[in-house]
Amino acid sequence: MDYIISIIPQMLMGTVDTLRLFFITIVLAIPLGILLAFCRVSSFKLLRDVVAAYVYVLRGTPLMLQLLFVYFGLPFIPVIGIRLDDFPAAVLAFVLNYGAYFCEIFRAGLQAIPRGQFEAAKTLGMNYAQTMKRIILPQVFKIILPPVSNETITLVKDTSLIYVLAMNDLLRTTRNLVQRDFNIMPFVVAAVFYLVMSMILTYGFNKLEKHFARWD
Amino acid sequence: MRKIEAKSICKKFDDLEVLKSIDMTVDEGEVVAIIGPSGGGKSTFLRCLNKLETINGGTIIIDGETLVSTDENGNVRYADNSSRIACRMGMVFQQFNLFPHMTVLENLMEAPVHVQKRNPAEVQKEAEALLEKVGLLDKRDQYPLRLSGGQQQRVAIARALCMKPDIMLFDEPTSSLDPELTGEVLKTMRNLAEDHMTMVVVTHEMGFAREVATKVLFMADGYIQEQGTPEEVFGNPKNERLKSFLKSILK
Repeated sequence: MDYIISIIPQMLMGTVDTLRLFFITIVLAIPLGILLAFCRVSSFKLLRDVVAAYVYVLRGTPLMLQLLFVYFGLPFIPVIGIRLDDFPAAVLAFVLNYGAYFCEIFRAGLQAIPRGQFEAAKTLGMNYAQTMKRIILPQVFKIILPPVSNETITLVKDTSLIYVLAMNDLLRTTRNLVQRDFNIMPFVVAAVFYLVMSMILTYGFNKLEKHFARWD
Repeated sequence: MRKIEAKSICKKFDDLEVLKSIDMTVDEGEVVAIIGPSGGGKSTFLRCLNKLETINGGTIIIDGETLVSTDENGNVRYADNSSRIACRMGMVFQQFNLFPHMTVLENLMEAPVHVQKRNPAEVQKEAEALLEKVGLLDKRDQYPLRLSGGQQQRVAIARALCMKPDIMLFDEPTSSLDPELTGEVLKTMRNLAEDHMTMVVVTHEMGFAREVATKVLFMADGYIQEQGTPEEVFGNPKNERLKSFLKSILK
């Protein structure tokens, strides 16, 4: 027990990095996903195709590979070649990747809204922006809540991939402790940490789902 | 006064010519019922009037303002303010299309407040008066999906009226209701007709067409095959297509 208490401060430090990546990714990837989803259903074929290709590549390759590419590969690309620090590189890779997944979730949500809702808004004189903001998106949010909840919980665990960039997130801190002390207890503590984060998210999303269920 | 004038309306879906050449006029206070077999173009025509469908040829004039016109070369041109003209007409759909995430009162107030930018307090008063009129004031704070189909449709009528339209369009308003609920919606529409609202109603309710309409149009195969007063159309049909249609529905 004393041992567990002694490692908790270090593990909390690692958790801070994990949470930082988690929150920044969520805050940037969701708007990116919405934006991409609108492109994906727009009437410009070129725009639709470009976004479809983007989604295909980002979903079709491992996040780990994308992470390594952004950090180690980007500096070698002519013209745009830039060298990012480990944290910005991680954020960029995660946002691009999760943006693609959120795009597909939002697209499915948008397409699930009956055409009659758009028509009713139109006959009431609402323009595109009003229709989206006041009629369509509130209904989309309700539909996509379960898949978004899924993605968000996956993201908590995916943050552990930054391990490969030698950043001291929760997982790497844990492994360092295991190797230093020859004790597997940190693994157990790390598992509990991840479970607590997932539990909080699950609780939050359940609350949201209840809130949106009021009009059923 | 002429409220709607439609001339040589033509509408194609890809290669399928749904409306071949439709001419129709509606005067102020008239209640026009459009009847006919399914797939005959009735709903499509109604949806062309308020731009839910764009036409491939013809002219539509609403309240003296040209919504859309076609020149000698067959180029169809919608007026710059066509959306504004179109939304002077209230529309009631077969599937109600209420906004499920808003209460009944919010459904009514949404467009008058956010589109017409009218004073919310005044709009609320009018909305409540309209709900009273359709007998649903006690449901004002309910969400639509909690209501029966007939109640939802009456809310939808009130929502359209809250925009203070000159003309009301009804697209098979009772077709997704069971017979028991159909009556309450028809009664609401009957009251509206008695208040001299100009109405165009696509319907399969022959009783309503016969008793409430001032003019009946029979549409089939992309044309208006026959039109006249209810007595003429139902009592003394001339067109063969209409005769067989009436025979088949009266069986």
